[in-house]
Amino acid sequence: MKKIFIGFSATIILAAMFAFTTVTSWKIADGYSIVFATNGVSGIFKNISGNILFDDQSLAASKFDIAIDINTINTGNGMQNKHAKSAEWFDAAKYPAIKFTSTKIVKAGAGYAATGLLQAHGISKEVSLPFTFKKTTTGALFEGNFNINRNDFKIGAAGGEVGDVIKVTVSLPVIK
Amino acid sequence: MYKKLLLLGAVSGLLSAIASIIYQKVYAASLGENFALIVKPFNIIVINIISGLIAGTGFWLLNKWLRNNTEIVFNLLFAVLSFASIVPAFGFRLPVTIETPELFPGLVVPMHFFPALAWLTLKPLFVKTYQPYQKVFA
Repeated sequence: MKKIFIGFSATIILAAMFAFTTVTSWKIADGYSIVFATNGVSGIFKNISGNILFDDQSLAASKFDIAIDINTINTGNGMQNKHAKSAEWFDAAKYPAIKFTSTKIVKAGAGYAATGLLQAHGISKEVSLPFTFKKTTTGALFEGNFNINRNDFKIGAAGGEVGDVIKVTVSLPVIK
Repeated sequence: MYKKLLLLGAVSGLLSAIASIIYQKVYAASLGENFALIVKPFNIIVINIISGLIAGTGFWLLNKWLRNNTEIVFNLLFAVLSFASIVPAFGFRLPVTIETPELFPGLVVPMHFFPALAWLTLKPLFVKTYQPYQKVFA
């Protein structure tokens, strides 16, 4: 009887622990936007995919694994789009995606910060991306504004007409 | 002379606008994109008529200065300016909501040559210019 009780208790405790560490898996919903802007050029990436595990009560178990399709870049100008995908800039044929995989998510002020590896143009660099998380009627919304220096990833030649620091604005509605 | 040139400019501008609108419809039917938010029929008509009126005024001014060589210089200028006007079309930045900006030059570049084409087509009906060979063979 004692053994049964201990076994039962252990099962309850393990189940409770599992329940506390389960993190919500979110699917990216329609209506997302990834906008970038710098001197001389601005535009959007039309396609983003990936896995999002996030729970504001369980940041340690939360994780982002996101990929942005370079071939969906749209600057509003056909020639500029082609140029951006060329070997001189993103080299989309060789490096078709910008990837971000978080290693740590922490609370930062009113929002959060996801630290992880940002991979672009074949170069990986650790970055910390601030973001906010709001629950909505249909799911939730992640929003982030941050700057990326394109020279860190050797995207295009430094200087020139296009600014080095790219301002990125991400709005990511998600559903369960 | 000036009134005839202005009339020629207005009519050739209208003809050019009609050609542009027809071309836009054919383009949309074949490629599925008409850029209607950017290239509006009303704007096409206004711009074409204004360019026709400018051409008429330009011809009149050139004729005051060059006399017999007006036709040659004017046609050359009209062709060169039409050609130069396509450059901004390639650099034009569309709203990012438009999925296929690479199709934009294919729509507007031919349109830039329609005013010159309409002018050259209609000019003999409005203005009889001096032809040197008429004197030679008279």
